[in-house]
Amino acid sequence: MSDAPALIEMRGVTKRYGGIPAIEKVDFTLRKGEIHALLGENGAGKSTLTKLMAGVVAPTAGEILLDGKPVSFGSPAEAMRDGINMVYQENSLVPSMTVAQNIFLGDESFFNKLRPLYIAAQQFLQSLNFNVDPWASVAGLGVAKKQMVEIARAVRQNARVIVFDEPTASLTPEEKHHFFALIRRLKADGVSIVFISHALEEALEISDRITILRDGKLVMSDDRSKFDRERIVTAMVGRALSRDLYGEGTKTYRKAGEKVLSVQNLSMGKVVRNTSFTVYAGQVTGMFGLIGSGRTETAKIIAGIAKRNFLHGGETRLGERSVRYRVPGQAVRDGIVYVTEDRKVEGFFDTMSIAENIGIGHIAAGFNKGLVVRTSEIAAIARTWSEKLAVRSINADARVIELSGGNQQKVVIAKSLVQKPRIIIFDEPTRGVDVGAIAEIHQLIERLADDGLAVIVISSYLPEILGISDRILVCQKGRVVEEFRTEDATEAKIMYAAVH
Amino acid sequence: MSPSFRPAFAFTQEQIVVAITLALLVLFSVTLDSFLTAGNILALIQNVSILGILGVAMALAIIGRGIDLSIVANMAVSVAWVLQLSNNGVPIEIAIVMGLGLALAIGLVNGFLVAYVEIPAIFATLAMGTVAYGFVRSLLLEDNLIYLKGAADTWFKWIGSGQVVGIPNSVLLFGLVAVVAHVVLRITVPGRFIYAMGDNPTAARSTGIPIRPLIVLQYVTAAAIAFVAGVIAATSVDSVETRIVRSNLVYDVILVVVIGGVGLSGGKGSIRNVIVGTLLIGVLVNGMTIMNVAYTLQNIIKSLILLTAIVIDSLMNPRDEQTSQQGDI
Repeated sequence: MSDAPALIEMRGVTKRYGGIPAIEKVDFTLRKGEIHALLGENGAGKSTLTKLMAGVVAPTAGEILLDGKPVSFGSPAEAMRDGINMVYQENSLVPSMTVAQNIFLGDESFFNKLRPLYIAAQQFLQSLNFNVDPWASVAGLGVAKKQMVEIARAVRQNARVIVFDEPTASLTPEEKHHFFALIRRLKADGVSIVFISHALEEALEISDRITILRDGKLVMSDDRSKFDRERIVTAMVGRALSRDLYGEGTKTYRKAGEKVLSVQNLSMGKVVRNTSFTVYAGQVTGMFGLIGSGRTETAKIIAGIAKRNFLHGGETRLGERSVRYRVPGQAVRDGIVYVTEDRKVEGFFDTMSIAENIGIGHIAAGFNKGLVVRTSEIAAIARTWSEKLAVRSINADARVIELSGGNQQKVVIAKSLVQKPRIIIFDEPTRGVDVGAIAEIHQLIERLADDGLAVIVISSYLPEILGISDRILVCQKGRVVEEFRTEDATEAKIMYAAVH
Repeated sequence: MSPSFRPAFAFTQEQIVVAITLALLVLFSVTLDSFLTAGNILALIQNVSILGILGVAMALAIIGRGIDLSIVANMAVSVAWVLQLSNNGVPIEIAIVMGLGLALAIGLVNGFLVAYVEIPAIFATLAMGTVAYGFVRSLLLEDNLIYLKGAADTWFKWIGSGQVVGIPNSVLLFGLVAVVAHVVLRITVPGRFIYAMGDNPTAARSTGIPIRPLIVLQYVTAAAIAFVAGVIAATSVDSVETRIVRSNLVYDVILVVVIGGVGLSGGKGSIRNVIVGTLLIGVLVNGMTIMNVAYTLQNIIKSLILLTAIVIDSLMNPRDEQTSQQGDI
């Protein structure tokens, strides 16, 4: 394998976002017809590396060679013309169009006759062995089928390289099996595959070569045969004990305190179906589930964020009191806060400074007496919390948009903590957060539980759930289906409950 | 947008507009004899003070990620009704209270439609402007043009036509409205909330800000400010021409807000930007009037200036993939 000619070669590429290097002086080679796994922890720079390949961003320094000739892509469209396609974590399909329309998107003839289009799409999908109806609207498809449509689109554009950003994160084991079969077929046709993954077993199972990044730098890049699980983990984390980060072994589990929140038969449309569970003070309650299991929606109902009408049934009890919030403001005043999984869209205010962001949390909780904002008081509070959470920035007036993912997340958390919550819900607290900050956020979560708060952590990353929770709830299809004490739980048991 | 992405010579749109305004000031002072006199400068500001006050109302809506296309209609019909009532023998004080009530009611409906019925502000206020004009004109007013007759000899007349220490009231009131609005936006709780809501409404809501009452407050306040502008306009020319609703005035208002650097996407800019935009338009129109430039040509020049400012801003502060990808590594 290793003697196949190089298709893409990156030499000493560096990419900085606002002065902060996302990747630094990385050399990377992709050969013809190989499956290349890209591994690394959150924030290691995997996404950035693939974005450089696909022309989404341009390198700050270094050069990219395609077939031995230097190239610089001005846009993803230019990279696509040279046969490099990317299948994103977030879907890039047009939901309101049909499968066939999406496959041919941007490539329609001027007089776009629909019938031939659908026939062509049908034949094409069959040639790939994809069981997808070309007439179906994309919005109604499951994650796996959407991915098939994206892949079909890439293959149809004569892709020589297809980059997958965490393709298996939301697939069931069965779908995963199909996906791997497909990748092998593409490889047999001479297509080079790059895929980013969190799951080491996957990489070991199907890749030909593996590249590992850490903190934006290349750690190693070699044939699969040179790797085993232990070696990968050591390379990714930079020290031998990988489970360090997620506190293995000697951990003591917290006892359940007072029962602060109980949810009974909560429902909302088809997303949350008749779910019941209880949350205790002084403990971290982990919530695991695949995408579509209704975890986020359940949390948003509890925090009053979901717009829910009176037909949707169920009861939420805060202590002994039955509550039903119409707006998040009511929940905040009752001491329930929700830290979002998508901080850019619903977390922070990007034109505002760190202090202003934290200040808005303080004012919105009703702690600012009177109508005039007490600027100096808020500045002091913001300073205290920035220090407590170790928010690192060049200066205090820096706008949140200029910070790294981990620091942004800390600001969003601080904005919620100034509201003095009794129950705090973290939704994917370490998504898109750099490795150093992950450990800090985990320590913070533990400290909150030690201080007597009821903490709920939603995560789809099993080591995180197992490492941080005292108790684990597993969601599936809109309800909590299993409850584990963390002592008794294993990755296999949790996954089994989440899927079956 | 981190500083490192900007070219070293980058200026904000506000700074660009200030520079253009100063350049025009110098140009007109040198080339036009009668331009740089105290009288003319005061007249210049007086001419744009109504525009400026309406700009403050509009900026309030735009900073909170809304827009209010009904302010011109609101101002015209509510103040026309005040004059009509006083002409019919109602004491001016009571007429003002009723007119203000009408203006606030229109603002309240705007706010309700946007906040609770969740209609996009641009449609809700466009429709509301037409509805308000239609109803008031056909049910409450006798004519399109209402003269100030009943209250011509009272203190009311003084509001728009008087002056204090040589400065016309309209200029002073523009300054007063601008200062009050600026202070409210900067240091009060609702002001901070409006910025937060304009920046990111979803985040504002989940942080616990009462979004819906805030939106209502925003449109009611804009209506009140529009009423003040209407009173000044009516008392300075002794009449209200309700057909102003059919004019381009509302676009001019948006122009002064946007040209000064208030972002249409919400959360960006302040009242200072409105003042800067208003002064630019004031200087431009005044100079062109002295030069006897035809009205249609003035419009063309105004719109070209707006385009230029926006183009320069977008060249100097590019919004590209890199800036939107911040922190996503």
